[in-house]
Amino acid sequence: MKRNPLILAIGFLLILIVGLLLFVFQVRKSEVVVVTRFGRPDRDISQPGPHLKWPWPIESVHRFDQRVQNFEDKLTEGLTSDSFNVLSSVFVGWEITDPKAFFPKFAAGSEPIAEAEKILDRMLSNAKAAVIAKHALFDFLSPTPEGNKFVDIEHEILSVVQAQVQANNYGLKIDFLGLKRLGLPENVTASVFERMQAERKRLADKSQFEGEAEAQTIRAEAERKAAVVLADAGAQATAIRGKGEAEAAKSLSEFQKNPQLANFIFGLNALEDSLKDKSTLIFDQHTPPFNLFNGVSTNLFNRAQ
Amino acid sequence: MSDFDVKLDEPRGNSPLPPERPLDSGSEALTEALRSSFWIIKLVMFLLLIVFLGSGFFTVEPQEQAMIIRLGRPVGTGQKALLGPGFHLSFPYPIDEHIKVPISAIQKVTSTVGWYATTPEQELAGTEPATLPIQYPLKPLVDGYVLTADRNIIHTRATLTYHISDPVTYVFNFANASNTVQNALDNALVYAASTFNVDDILTRDVAGFKEAVRKRVVTLVSQENLGVDIEECLIQSRPARQLRDAFDSVLKAALTRQALLEAAHSSEAQISSKAGADARSLISLAESDRSRLVNEVRSQADRFNDLLPKFQQSPQLFVQQRLTETLGRVLTNAQDKIFLAGGEAGGPSTGNQKELRVLLNREPPKQKSDETKP
Repeated sequence: MKRNPLILAIGFLLILIVGLLLFVFQVRKSEVVVVTRFGRPDRDISQPGPHLKWPWPIESVHRFDQRVQNFEDKLTEGLTSDSFNVLSSVFVGWEITDPKAFFPKFAAGSEPIAEAEKILDRMLSNAKAAVIAKHALFDFLSPTPEGNKFVDIEHEILSVVQAQVQANNYGLKIDFLGLKRLGLPENVTASVFERMQAERKRLADKSQFEGEAEAQTIRAEAERKAAVVLADAGAQATAIRGKGEAEAAKSLSEFQKNPQLANFIFGLNALEDSLKDKSTLIFDQHTPPFNLFNGVSTNLFNRAQ
Repeated sequence: MSDFDVKLDEPRGNSPLPPERPLDSGSEALTEALRSSFWIIKLVMFLLLIVFLGSGFFTVEPQEQAMIIRLGRPVGTGQKALLGPGFHLSFPYPIDEHIKVPISAIQKVTSTVGWYATTPEQELAGTEPATLPIQYPLKPLVDGYVLTADRNIIHTRATLTYHISDPVTYVFNFANASNTVQNALDNALVYAASTFNVDDILTRDVAGFKEAVRKRVVTLVSQENLGVDIEECLIQSRPARQLRDAFDSVLKAALTRQALLEAAHSSEAQISSKAGADARSLISLAESDRSRLVNEVRSQADRFNDLLPKFQQSPQLFVQQRLTETLGRVLTNAQDKIFLAGGEAGGPSTGNQKELRVLLNREPPKQKSDETKP
């Protein structure tokens, strides 16, 4: 009987461990737990840490993921208020907020999250169709911040779904919702392409014409400026010549001392200048110095007679 | 194990009269076998205890990180909650649990909602799919695309890098945080495209589009409290394959336009520099005219002043002398000289008339001018 205290201690420890396993359970931070008593939800616990319960079969523990779930719905078609077919797909972040309400509705299946998302999918496609029908296509697509109601549309879909979730008391909450895709039906894309092609052609032509016109404008402007510069230069040149003439006129006063001589000199100069080259001169015997021939009998003179 | 202890000890301890010899050899062998298997069980129990106590130790590989959950709560906050690669110690289950999280320093998500369908081989090779004829529509379930503000179709995709600033939130508040980031990026791309025109996305305002996507992602992840910090956002945009030629032609037209403008600018420079040169030469010509005129008149005046005293001495003689002198010079220079002899002074009244015919040619060739000589 020497080993009895040790054996007792070990036995007690074992009983304690079994007891703990039966009466205590842990809740993780990412989980929320619903404790059911004889199958009916009794209380929910979202506080992480160890908690007490009655052992099975009195009470049992059902764990749910409390984290924000990510759900994306399929592309669905909706008609805008101006009769465009628009394909859209959204994503939502949702979480379980009231496990006691959530549990009886979705916990029957093995995948409560997937069950809930089936319901969400239905609600989302209804909400999308309803909201898209209230908006024209330019509410989705517009370059101006005032015209673009993209964010408003997302909020509207969210509030419609949110209202349905609350009305049905699903015990979950939608944290955020956003459009993930926005598209057009397959046959419409081909006509969009045709329109875009025509637009590209117009742009290419416009670019070419504009280029030519601009180039022409640049050249014409350059010519105009050149003409102005040349005209200015011409005016300046005339002014310079005028000044030269005025300066020259000062020297002319010298000639007034004897106009007769001045005229004679000018005449001589003019005569000399004008007969500088390739000139043909015709004289008769009266012109000096040929008047010297007068009264002298020459062969030439006689022959001419 | 203690149960076995008790049961096995009892027969030995309680029997007042131990059998002096075994009942038979069979039961003795059974006792031996039980005793040895009891020791084996004891050893196994001990080993299990060691393993149980040692289960608190764990190692983290270089490409992963770990977190310890103590009684359901993560240990540490913020970046401190993450345990890097190496050897770590925790209490054994059920007190502590460690979970490994595949969190690298830089996380990356790619949004392909706006990209046409590609195969992994094409992605690896980096080749662009062939141009399609315009009649090919885009299949919504296969090809991704976004709609632009001017209702055009364009392909664009984004790659976002981010790091996790709050791992506890990232891991414990979101079932799939990286998908949530991805959805935020998808949404940002679709949203930004809906506010930009096709040419802005492709060429005119590429940086603006990128910034709009980035801004939207940052807004979304902070609204959603994801516990991540966005680092970089890369955007790639392409016209639809069906329209590649059409877009190329616009680009070509733009280049042609550029070339035209450049040519115009260069001829503009040419014209203006030529005009400048012409203007300068006009002015310098005028300047030289001016100085020549002034000098000429001055030199004439000087000559006049020189000649004046001589003239005043004997005007008649001076004039005669000068005239003869000049005529002599002129006659030397003149090409053709014709002297008409005869005829008395008095001209036609004498009745002795002569007719002189001169054949004038504006540019007389040399030979012809010779012929005109008498």
